[in-house]
Amino acid sequence: MDFDDTPDEAAYRADVRARLERAAGDLLHVGAGDRVDAGTHEAELRRTQRVLAEAGLVGVTWPREYGGQGGTLVQQAIVQQELARAGVPTLINHIGIGMCGPTVIAHGSDEQRARYLVRLLRADDVWCQLFSEPASGSDLAALRTTAVRDGGDWVVNGQKVWTTLAHVADFGILLTRTDPDTPKHAGLTMFVVDMHAPGVTVRPLRQMVGSAGFNEVFFDDVRIPDAERLGEPGEGWRVALTTLMNERVAIGGAGGDLGLPVETLVRHARERLPRLDPDRQVLARQAVGRAVVASLATRYTGYRRFTVLSQGGVPGPEASAGKLAGTAAAKLVADAGVRLLGDDAVYAAAADGDDSWQRTNGYLPGLAIAGGTDQVLRNILGERVLGLPPEPRSDKAAPFSGRPAGGAR
Amino acid sequence: MNFDLGPDQRDAAAGAREFYRGQASAAAARAALEGGAVAPGHKALADIGFLGITVPEAAGGAGGSVLDLAVVAEQGGAVLAGPSLVTAARAAVLLADHPDLAGQLADGSAALAVLDGSVDGSAPSLDAAGATLFLALDDSGALVAGEGEATSGAPLDATRGLASVRMTTRRVLTEDATALWERARQVAATVLAAEGLGAADRCVQMAVGYAQEREAFGRRIGSYQSVKHMLVDAWVGVDQLRSLVWWAAWAADAAPDELPLAASAAKAWAAEVVERAAETCIQVHGGIGFTWEHDAHLYWRRAKVDRLLLGDAAEHLDAVARLAVAGSLA
Ligand SMILES: Cc1cc2nc3c(=O)[nH]c(=O)nc-3n(C[C@H](O)[C@H](O)[C@H](O)COP(=O)(O)OP(=O)(O)OC[C@H]3O[C@@H](n4cnc5c(N)ncnc54)[C@H](O)[C@@H]3O)c2cc1C
Repeated sequence: MDFDDTPDEAAYRADVRARLERAAGDLLHVGAGDRVDAGTHEAELRRTQRVLAEAGLVGVTWPREYGGQGGTLVQQAIVQQELARAGVPTLINHIGIGMCGPTVIAHGSDEQRARYLVRLLRADDVWCQLFSEPASGSDLAALRTTAVRDGGDWVVNGQKVWTTLAHVADFGILLTRTDPDTPKHAGLTMFVVDMHAPGVTVRPLRQMVGSAGFNEVFFDDVRIPDAERLGEPGEGWRVALTTLMNERVAIGGAGGDLGLPVETLVRHARERLPRLDPDRQVLARQAVGRAVVASLATRYTGYRRFTVLSQGGVPGPEASAGKLAGTAAAKLVADAGVRLLGDDAVYAAAADGDDSWQRTNGYLPGLAIAGGTDQVLRNILGERVLGLPPEPRSDKAAPFSGRPAGGAR
Repeated sequence: MNFDLGPDQRDAAAGAREFYRGQASAAAARAALEGGAVAPGHKALADIGFLGITVPEAAGGAGGSVLDLAVVAEQGGAVLAGPSLVTAARAAVLLADHPDLAGQLADGSAALAVLDGSVDGSAPSLDAAGATLFLALDDSGALVAGEGEATSGAPLDATRGLASVRMTTRRVLTEDATALWERARQVAATVLAAEGLGAADRCVQMAVGYAQEREAFGRRIGSYQSVKHMLVDAWVGVDQLRSLVWWAAWAADAAPDELPLAASAAKAWAAEVVERAAETCIQVHGGIGFTWEHDAHLYWRRAKVDRLLLGDAAEHLDAVARLAVAGSLA
């Protein structure tokens, strides 16, 4: 048991650091854990990713033929740590790299791989994931957006929602229903869609904290060439599972802090604790201690999962526990951070203008929903890890077209 | 990075599981509440060599690491074994410069207990009830050894051998032992968390097994989300506790600077996780889980006692916050 880099890893890390230092002038830098609005900083974020890609620091585990580095998961994690250390914000194409790209690699044609993957890594094209709809989020397979074959094309009609990055995206992976007369999981087909195609309308949605991170996307007779299909018609569910598996690993699978880093909380506590009156300090230390322990429990559990991966194992359903526990830990960290503000805690920003604690506090409810809600993750863990019986699902076998109309809108 | 047990530790865990399953059980813990002996008992643990795992070879022990001991302790916790390996681990640290006494710890010729609190009337201390030799920290900060009179209260968990002790004889083993004492207590907290890990893991297994079979309203109860989600939360806690226990045990061996933070984190997490697992186990079993005959309450008893030994969750959360702010983390 050890937590050190091997000599190879240490050499790789030094090399990554050197490359980051050389590129530093061309990169956007932010405070640890801070998020940058893709809408307002699109150009800088695209440039940052392109520079990193040129330095060989994007798509570390992707095959070389698709513009990747052919590296290991360990190297990927090292790059991740060094980017965080250097204060580089989340890459603008994180959804493309974490979810869309791996889906294209697994299910796309050679032409699609050649056309899209290198550009994706360089953020020449930004990608989004068009799965959720007003009436199908957790129950993704109940989606209604249709694609109908017309000669060499498919014609798409319907609506997606909560689509992160759609307002800046060039392409998306789009899950549609192509056969309503089969059971809901059987009639789906996945496509790559050009977000600039005629008939695609993107409307930003303002999130609870005020900024516009996600969108609704309308499809009105949008034509997609058959060559942009990912996988066979009717195989869309299997293709989507590739995406979702990668998503759970991308979010929280490695046990990294999902909100502000716990080290940031500790520095904040060092500064703020002495300013509270002594009775409050006792209570605040309980909150800080709990947040630290929960974060470390998640972090060290991530190290165990990571060890399995680095020895050639594959990510299993227990990756969902990383997101579930990581979200809970991030909420404890954010709450402790806010409480340490004392009287300022009731305002959206502290007297010195620092709003980072309230912002992270306001972002975390979304994390408990995006990429599988806490409840859905518990279902997955209960059924796939603990082996508990599934709930009866009455709509699983019947043809989708036979179900009563309903849903959110 | 390699954050996993090695093959030797896996083998040791498998061997310990077999030994403990043959020698101890929740049934024995139940019998102990009615006056029966604690199982496996001091002699059996000495004979198999578990009391000397971290005693140096030169003193007659196995010269193993705290991690080696923690993986064995986990297996003892799973069947509510006594005496606790916490006592062995803690005494081995304290007796590092006293090979004669360490040898007696390892071969079982003395039954040791480590006392918390005053030498003139200690706090209820682990395995003090049957001990023949006591170790304590006196008012001057010296480590002392001697005999004493033990007084027990009505046991909540009879496997813990808790008693308060007034020392009747004592000799100084080490002057200025405060730092040594602290380290021993951190190792003890780590091993206590390891025993809790075994107990909590067993609770989750029992409850999951029952939820897979028991039916209500025409369905197996594990298919109901309120049951399923409760079990998942208990399991996630246990899985995370394993990470903290391994980290703390590793730190005890390889990174002494990290031990105070890691040990307090493991102990604080254990206090809550083991209790939740035990309560979940009772709840999932329904009425049968509330009976004397069912094993669930024996784990619940263990949880309710252990959470308070060697500092409760509040004390350790406070320690974590203080250590982190003082520079242990950032
Ligand atoms: C910040 C953010 C970013 C997002 N980005 C994207 C994106 O880029 N692309 C995309 O396709 N989607 C995205 N989503 C959508 C996200 O995947 C869905 O919101 C999520 O899957 C939940 O679906 P829903 O909103 O329809 O809620 P519902 O599924 O209607 O859930 C409502 C409530 O019911 C509960 N519930 C539902 N089913 C069950 C069940 N079987 N058991 C127990 N409880 C249940 C849920 O836990 C929740 O509490 C994003 C969401 C957020 C918040």
